[in-house]
Amino acid sequence: MSLHVLYFGMLAEVTGLAEENWLNNGQLTVGDFRAQVMQKYPALQGKKFKIAVNQRILEDLADIAPQSEVALLPPFAGG
Amino acid sequence: MEKQHKPKKVFVEGPISPDFIAKSIASHQSKTGIGAHAIFLGQIRADEKEGGAVSGIAYTAYEEMAEQTFHEIREAAFARFELTCLHIYHSLGLVPTGQISLFVFVSSPHRRAAFEASEYIVEEIKTKVPIFAKELIGDNGEFEWKRNV
Repeated sequence: MSLHVLYFGMLAEVTGLAEENWLNNGQLTVGDFRAQVMQKYPALQGKKFKIAVNQRILEDLADIAPQSEVALLPPFAGG
Repeated sequence: MEKQHKPKKVFVEGPISPDFIAKSIASHQSKTGIGAHAIFLGQIRADEKEGGAVSGIAYTAYEEMAEQTFHEIREAAFARFELTCLHIYHSLGLVPTGQISLFVFVSSPHRRAAFEASEYIVEEIKTKVPIFAKELIGDNGEFEWKRNV
């Protein structure tokens, strides 16, 4: 399946990208995706982030539907 | 049945001007059911860091999710408190120290709802809206990513 991945704030600096397409054979949970992205970008180790799927923050056990928009969100700092 | 409110545009580019805030207040003079306004303004503070003082904050956001979250916070506030109207504006891009980056404007028939709703809304914004802030430090291009605590 294919996902559209977005990186924000300090995470975009770590990966050097604002977005990319993510291909995977078969189904992924949020936790699976987290492991894959940290393997691809080892500099994410130790960074705190949440994962939103189609603009909803989901826990690691949740499944990611094909064609989803997946966003890596560092700590919020609005206000 | 609660009244549904249309999503409103929250983000503005750069600082929120005192003139805009004054005009927002003036535009409520015709709403004579209002007895109390509460206004919260977030201002950029010149925190001292190792590399110097903070000179400004550059804001970015996951805009679609942020607008949706602002809408949900508005709906929750209308459901919880007796409000006549509610406006939220937040900056994107660069806001220099001393300028305004957040404007929450709550109007109610009575003061208690206005006070409580404004605090509730600001706390919700701080914890739930995907906005990211880079604090610019001194004049050598140093920066630090800010986080709400």
